[in-house]
Amino acid sequence: MASITLNVNNKEYTVDADPDMPLLWVLRDKLELTGTKYGCGVASCGACMVLLDGAAVYSCQRAVATCVKKKITTIEGLSEDGTHPLQKAWEKVGVPQCGYCQSGQIIAAAGMLNKYKRPTEEMIDQVMSSNLCRCGTYHRIREAIHIAIEEINK
Amino acid sequence: MKKTSIDRRRFIKLGSLASGGLVIGFSLPGQSLFTQTPFDCEYFQPSAYLRIDKKGKVTIFVAKQESGQGVDTALPMILAEELDVDLRDVNVEIAPYGTLKEGEHDTGGSQSVMQMYDVLRKAGATAKAMIISAAAKHWGVKPEICAADNGTVVNTANMARLNYGDLVCDAAALPVPAEVGLKSPKDFKLIGKTEKRTGLKNILTGKTKYGLDTKVPGMVYAAVLRCPVQDGKLISFDDSALKDMKDVLKVVSYKGTAAPMHVRDGVAVIATNSWTALKARDLVRVQWDITVGKGVNTDSLFKALEERTKSKPQIQVFDKGNVDKAQGETFTAQYSEPFLAHATIEPMNCIAAVNGDKVELWGGFQLPDWAVNTIIKEFGYKKENVKLNLTLMGGGFGRRLHFEPALEVVKIAQQFDKPVQVIWDRVDDTRFDAFRPASVHKLEAKLDKNGKLLAWQHHIAGPSISIMTEGPDTKNLAENLGGADKDFWYDVPNVRTGFSSVNFNINRGWLRAVEICVNTFAVESFIDEIALHLKKDPLAYRLSLLEGRPAFDVRQYGTIVKQEPQRIAGVLKLAAEKIGWTDKREPNHFVGIATHSFIFARAYAAHAIEIEVTGDKKFRIKKIVGAIDCGLVINPDGLRNQMEGAIVFGLSQVLKGEITVQDGKVAEDGFYSYELLRFDEMPPVEIYTVDSKEEPGGVGEVGLPTVSPALCNALAAAGMRPRNLPIRKDGYSWS
Ligand code: FES
Ligand code: FES
Repeated sequence: MASITLNVNNKEYTVDADPDMPLLWVLRDKLELTGTKYGCGVASCGACMVLLDGAAVYSCQRAVATCVKKKITTIEGLSEDGTHPLQKAWEKVGVPQCGYCQSGQIIAAAGMLNKYKRPTEEMIDQVMSSNLCRCGTYHRIREAIHIAIEEINK
Repeated sequence: MKKTSIDRRRFIKLGSLASGGLVIGFSLPGQSLFTQTPFDCEYFQPSAYLRIDKKGKVTIFVAKQESGQGVDTALPMILAEELDVDLRDVNVEIAPYGTLKEGEHDTGGSQSVMQMYDVLRKAGATAKAMIISAAAKHWGVKPEICAADNGTVVNTANMARLNYGDLVCDAAALPVPAEVGLKSPKDFKLIGKTEKRTGLKNILTGKTKYGLDTKVPGMVYAAVLRCPVQDGKLISFDDSALKDMKDVLKVVSYKGTAAPMHVRDGVAVIATNSWTALKARDLVRVQWDITVGKGVNTDSLFKALEERTKSKPQIQVFDKGNVDKAQGETFTAQYSEPFLAHATIEPMNCIAAVNGDKVELWGGFQLPDWAVNTIIKEFGYKKENVKLNLTLMGGGFGRRLHFEPALEVVKIAQQFDKPVQVIWDRVDDTRFDAFRPASVHKLEAKLDKNGKLLAWQHHIAGPSISIMTEGPDTKNLAENLGGADKDFWYDVPNVRTGFSSVNFNINRGWLRAVEICVNTFAVESFIDEIALHLKKDPLAYRLSLLEGRPAFDVRQYGTIVKQEPQRIAGVLKLAAEKIGWTDKREPNHFVGIATHSFIFARAYAAHAIEIEVTGDKKFRIKKIVGAIDCGLVINPDGLRNQMEGAIVFGLSQVLKGEITVQDGKVAEDGFYSYELLRFDEMPPVEIYTVDSKEEPGGVGEVGLPTVSPALCNALAAAGMRPRNLPIRKDGYSWS
C-alpha cells in the first residue's frame, strides 16, 4: 500500500493504493471515475482506454505506479463539456447503442488523432481494431472519425 | 406464491394482447398509485409514464430496459408526440421498479414498441386532454377551442397562451377522462423523424452509469470461484494464502441452486476493491467434485445430435398435408450450429445489500419481475422487503433475461454486513454464460419431375433452453420458431417439422433472435440449395414460392399472428434491387440472399451479400444490404443503427463464434478465444426500409437471422456450400 499522487483530467488526486493496482481500478473504485470501463482486463477489448500523456493505453494493463507524473485523461476530461471534435462527430452520427464501449472507442480515436492529424484508412483500421463493440457500431465509428478528421484539419 | 418460471413466450403473449388494436378508454396502468389531491400538487403525474412539474418540465419514465436498443428514445417519442412537447425538453428516466404492473418492465423479444405504442400514445393524449381542460376552465371557454402546441395551450379565439407548467396543478385535480382522441398519423411531428438518442451526451462524456458503475455508500466487491462444471459440488476450500492481504475482507462459500438459474456452488472473496477481489480469488485453493462433467463434450454432442435427426422427432411440431404421400426426388441436407455466448462488453454484475429480513439490489435486468419473484421464492423474503434499483445495461441481447449474479450476490451479502457488488470478469462471463444452444438440422424435400417443391421436412435436434429454465417437466421443449413451426411463408403443400431434445449438462438461455436465428439459417440455406439443385435463380425461386400467396393467420402461444408472404417478397425484392441482383458482376464476385419473417414482432427482413472469391474457401465481403419491413417506424435512425449492429452480430456468428465444452468445462475464456468481429473486418453496409403504414413492429432481433444464410448462399453461388457454423470450422477464411 502506498500513497500515490495522480494527475487525472488536470486534477491532482492522492490515493492509497497497491502500486501494482491497474490504473483502471484506481480510476473506477478509488476515484469513482466510472467513465473508463472494464471489459476484459487482458487487453482484448479496449473498453478501458485512457490517454497517458496524450497516447491511448489500456488502463487495465498499467500499474498505477507507472502513471505517476503523467497526464491522465479519461473520457470525463476529454473536453470540458463534451465538445471535443470526436465527441461532436459521435453525436452528429449518433454512434452509440448501449454505449458501454464508446468511451474506449473515443479515447482510442483521440490518441490516434493526437499523433496523426490525417490518419490513413489503414491506420484507422489498425488502431480501431483494438476496441470491440458488441452492439456493432463500427460502421458509424468510421463515419464519425472521418467527420472529426475534417473538423480538426479545417 | 407467484409462479416463478417464465419463458420468452410470456412476454410475447403480453405483447400480442397489448397490440390488439387501439383501445380507447382503458385505465392506465399504475394510475391509482398516482391519484393526487390539489393540495399536494408539486407536479402532475397522471400515470406511471410521465410527470410534469410546475415549471413545465416533463419527465418521461421508460418502462422498458435500455441495453442499446434505443427504447430510451423511441418510447419517449411516442408519448411526447401525443403530449405535444419537444423531446429535447423532456427528461428521460428509467421507470422505477414497482411503479408498473407486473410484466410491464419486461424487455425482450423485440416487443417494446409493440407493447407500448398504444399505451404511451394514450398516456400522452390523456395528460394533454387534462391540461387543455384546465386551460379551458381557466379561460372560461370550451376545451374544443383550445389547442396544444409544443408545451403550451393556445386559446384559438384570442391566441392567448398558457404553459403546461402553469396548468399542471389544476389538471391534477381533474378527473381522468375515460376517452381521449389520438392524433392521426399524418399529423405526427416526431414519430417517423430521426431523433438523437436521449442519453447520447451522457454516453459521450462518460456520465452514463451502467450496473458495473453503480456505487452505493459503503459498498465492497466480490469475485467468485465457481464450480467449473454445472451441478458439480464444492468439497472444500483453503484461503490461507489470503490471510495477509489487507484489502481482503472475508471469504464465504455458498451452495448453488437448480432451475431456473442454475447458480453454481461458489467461493466468494470479498474485498475493498474489484482488483483485490479478482486477484485474491486466484489464490484460493478449492476442491470440487466435478465427476458429473465427465464425457460432457461438444464433439460427442454433435455426433449424438446428428444421430438423433436420423430417426423420428421426439415432438412433432407442425404437420400439413401428408409428406409421406408426396412422390418425387428426395433432396436432403444437414446443417449444424454451435453453442454461443452473449459476450456483452459490460460483464455480468449485481449489487445487493442485505439488512435483516430486507434486501435491496442494483443492476440491469431484462425481466426484473422474474428476478424479484425468484429471490422471494428462493430466499423467503417478503415481497415488500425486496427493493430493486434498475440500471442501464452495457448490452443485453438476452443475456440479462437471466439473473444468476443477483442470486449469487444475495447469497454473498447475507454473509456480510455491507452492500456487495459481485463482479464477473471476462473469463467468468464467457464460461458461465447461459449459452444459446447448439443444434443439428436435417432437412428433406420432395421434388416432382418439373422441380415443383412438394414436401418439406425439418427435424431439429438440440439441447432445449426451457428444460434449463423450467426444469424437466417443461411444456415448451420444442424450439422451432423461425422455421415451419406453423405454416411458413413458402407455399409448400406438405410440411412436417419436429424437435428432439438431447440433454447436455451446460446452462442455456436466449440470445438475440434465439431459435429464429438458428432455424432461419437452416431454412434459408436449404431453399437456396434446392434452387441451385434445380438450376434456378435463388431469388426467382423464392419469389415463385411466395407469389400470389395471401396473408394468413397462424397461432402462436395462444394468440393469432399474421404470416404475410407478400411483405417477405417485398423485402426480398428490395434487398435484391439494392445489391443489383441482376447486374453484371466483376469476375469472381457473387451474391447471396436470404429472408425471413419475425412474425411475433410483425417484421420481415432480408439480406443480400456480395462477396469476392479470392481462393479456395477464401473470400472478401464487398457489401451487405439489409432490408426491413417493420411497419410504421418510430425513429428511423434508431432502426438503422439496430440493423447495422445486427449485421455485425450476424457476421460474428457466421464467421467466428463457437463455444466448446470438454468434460463439462467451457474451453473459451474471453475475446481471444471467443472472437467477435473487429473494426477492420467491417464491410460496407447499406440499410433500406420499406415505407409502411402498418402497425409498428419490433426491430432489435429482426436484422440478425438472415445474415448467416445470405453469406453462405453467396459462397454457394461461387460453388462452395458451408453447412456448419461458424464457417471457419470448415476451413473458410476471409480478408
Ligand atoms: S478492459 Fe482493458 S482491454 Fe478490455
Ligand atoms: S455500443 Fe454497446 S458495446 Fe459498443
